Amino acid sequence: MDISLGQGILLSLMAVIVGIDFWLEGLFIFRPIIVSTLTGLILGDLKLGLLAGGLTELAFAGLTPAGGTQPPNPVLAGIMTTVIAYTTKTAPETSIGLALPFSFLMQYILLFYYSTFSLFMVKSDKYAAEGDTKAFTRINLIPMFIVAITYGIVVFLSTYVAQDAMRALVNSMPEWLTHGFEVAGGLLPAVGFGMLLKVMLKKQYIPYLLIGFLFASFIQYSNLLPVALIGTAIALIDYFNSKSSPAVQKGGDDYSDGI
Amino acid sequence: MTESKTKVLTKKDITDLGIRNVLLQSSFNYERMQAGGWTLSMLPALKKIYKDDKEGLSAAMTDNTEFINTHPVLVGFLMGMLLSLEENNEDRGLIRGLKIALFGPLAGIGDAILWFTLLPIVAGISASFASQGNVLGPIIFFVVYLALFIARIPITRLGYNLGTKAIGSLQERSQAISKSATILGVTVVGGLIASFVSIDVIAEIAISANNVVSIQSDFFDKIFPNILPFGYTMGMYYLLKNKKVNPTVLILITFGLAILLSLLGIL
Repeated sequence: MDISLGQGILLSLMAVIVGIDFWLEGLFIFRPIIVSTLTGLILGDLKLGLLAGGLTELAFAGLTPAGGTQPPNPVLAGIMTTVIAYTTKTAPETSIGLALPFSFLMQYILLFYYSTFSLFMVKSDKYAAEGDTKAFTRINLIPMFIVAITYGIVVFLSTYVAQDAMRALVNSMPEWLTHGFEVAGGLLPAVGFGMLLKVMLKKQYIPYLLIGFLFASFIQYSNLLPVALIGTAIALIDYFNSKSSPAVQKGGDDYSDGI
Repeated sequence: MTESKTKVLTKKDITDLGIRNVLLQSSFNYERMQAGGWTLSMLPALKKIYKDDKEGLSAAMTDNTEFINTHPVLVGFLMGMLLSLEENNEDRGLIRGLKIALFGPLAGIGDAILWFTLLPIVAGISASFASQGNVLGPIIFFVVYLALFIARIPITRLGYNLGTKAIGSLQERSQAISKSATILGVTVVGGLIASFVSIDVIAEIAISANNVVSIQSDFFDKIFPNILPFGYTMGMYYLLKNKKVNPTVLILITFGLAILLSLLGIL
């Protein structure tokens, strides 16, 4: 299916808004579950957006910008997984893999900005010393607008302009390759969860990981709410215990390793 | 230090600060990180405090434009607290020292609770709805994070009202809270691994001409379902934690491996 010029423009406008949100970490509408759904709405296939959103959200669950590291870009992943599935009629499980290069591209652009935006601090220091609030405000808002415009351009080029090339690429792929992308889609969340565990998991938390894993493996339920409730119960038990015996609390947490 | 001045910041000023601090990362860069946005968020309040005192304003702006990297959602707590000190005309060195001492721990608590506990839970639940084509998924997600956005206002007020008293309570409770949050988060990640990492071995072993054993359904599913996803995730964890492998490299390896195993007809 084709993406019309109007849809391309709408997708770019959406990217500008969610792109600013990712830059500021404000409303979290930059997460794939929202971005893919909105993309689906713009393309007129809400169901596809939801499926792609659920899938991409989980694959990106652990790839967070916590502590100032820049992960593969969730906005481009959310948009392109949906767009590629729509234009090439591939399953979202396959298109999530095809969307990754776009996600990496945006990640590298932002990394470039992180370095070059340091230049704005020279002027910021000058205006701060002069107590010039107007000029200070302007110089510190410019980077955000540069980022916003970049999102708009990158998304317009990736969705509207490149769609024929994308289709040609997908059509030329052999079966084992598309199936390979699908397999990768199933494996990808493991990298994200590994990232989460890298920061959170210490020896004393292994039992909780196993409880959650075993519970979800053997008691099938349509969503994860029961696991979250069990986790809440255990967390509360621990909280009240540590409150009554403050000595236990001592050896608590430090996040020096991951963050 | 002089005796406390009368308060110049109104309740509305603090509410505005709670919303305005969303600009924290507006000029994020590697040199000073959030410094520009940090000062930018507080400018209206600082302007009000230092009305005609151009020198005081420029000193406050210069101090605040030093390096800072803290948590974007919880930042209001620190801003509110430090502004109450600015308002009391406390010593610049004290304000600066407290800022430097507190922004790191605040970032640690925020990341533990928001990125590593709340996000996996909300993402896990809303993604399980969305993957069934249910629009409730993104709606749940949006509502939770909208509430979190609105919470910036009470968080900022809390910091402002507690002032320096905030330091004690921050240190006292943060450990117990982040430990409980971690337990909850780890439990949910366990559930996420079982539900969302999928490895399906399609290879079969022919024992005799008409007796074929499927490795997945006759072997793994009978011994321990999801053991492969668990193993692969722990493998990723090991490489990230102990071998310090870059996540981007692991994504590329995962792709290479998936395509190779697909080509060989194993997965």
